[in-house]
Amino acid sequence: MSAGFFRRRNFVRPYVLTRGRTSSSIGSMELHAPIVALVTTDQLPKRATPEDRRIVELTQTPVSLAEVAARMSTPVGVVRVLVGDLADSGFVQVRSAPDQGEHRDVALLERLLEGIRAL
Amino acid sequence: MRSDSMWETTATPGAPTAPGAGPGAAPGAGGDASTSTGLPVSMKIVVAGGYAVGKTTLVGTISEIEPLTTEADITVESLGIDFAGPVAGQKTGTTVAMDFGRITLGADMVLYLFGTPGQDRFLFLWDELVRGAVGGVVLVDTRRIEDCFPAVDYFEHLGIPFVVAVNLFNGVYRHHPREVREALSVPANVPVVLCDARNRLHVKETLVLLVEGALRRAQHSG
Repeated sequence: MSAGFFRRRNFVRPYVLTRGRTSSSIGSMELHAPIVALVTTDQLPKRATPEDRRIVELTQTPVSLAEVAARMSTPVGVVRVLVGDLADSGFVQVRSAPDQGEHRDVALLERLLEGIRAL
Repeated sequence: MRSDSMWETTATPGAPTAPGAGPGAAPGAGGDASTSTGLPVSMKIVVAGGYAVGKTTLVGTISEIEPLTTEADITVESLGIDFAGPVAGQKTGTTVAMDFGRITLGADMVLYLFGTPGQDRFLFLWDELVRGAVGGVVLVDTRRIEDCFPAVDYFEHLGIPFVVAVNLFNGVYRHHPREVREALSVPANVPVVLCDARNRLHVKETLVLLVEGALRRAQHSG
């Protein structure tokens, strides 16, 4: 077995990636919150982890938190913390949940309805 | 320069007013994005119902991507139930899988459909799932109608708009929607419809009914 086998991330307990933290500075980042990278992976500092690079890579166009987590095969809770760190550093942008939910916004619901009807 | 090319890929090409993008942006700048930033508006609908009732099928029928599975964390302590996990007593040791799909609606709106984990014992998780949701679809298998009770209770309790969709298996149903309505005693403003989870048109119409209900409520709540 190659050394690479033992470096596969699956061998790391998930919250080791977040240094044990379970909450994010971004606060309430919903499962469907869109995330977009503000940089390319080349522009990340050298100290950026493989997970950071992967997140930036996956979010070159806007992608939801749940989707990033699914594509990384990493629990949402872990990805939320990592994304929060990247957002604090200005590498990604997150659309966090407003207090007054968009799901109560008449104009948005009208657009949603139109969009579904047009499917 | 560093992020110019990035913004061309976002939803508001006519508005290259990217906020202080990139490293060096003001602290917290990433946290308060708004529609003007080019991030799409993201909406969510939750698909609930008993185990193996066809939730993932329904999601997959209308999703533009193969349904993805993501793991949400749960705290064993908060459950008071026995998980057959490898490490008893570990707080963050257990995750539960949720399936979801995506539908892009126009240039700047994305709808996510999340399936609830199939078992009642995961109900506590729904707070995370349901937060910010437009509403819910409760999928019912009339052979096991009681399986959907927790979902109906949950949406009713939280006042979240929902529709009851009676899944047609092989095109047959054993109980008329009227009987299902009586069995569930849902309020008159909750639609009860027949919906073959494999039929795109059925699923679409079910979502339309749900959003119409959510819209009516939003309009009336001023």
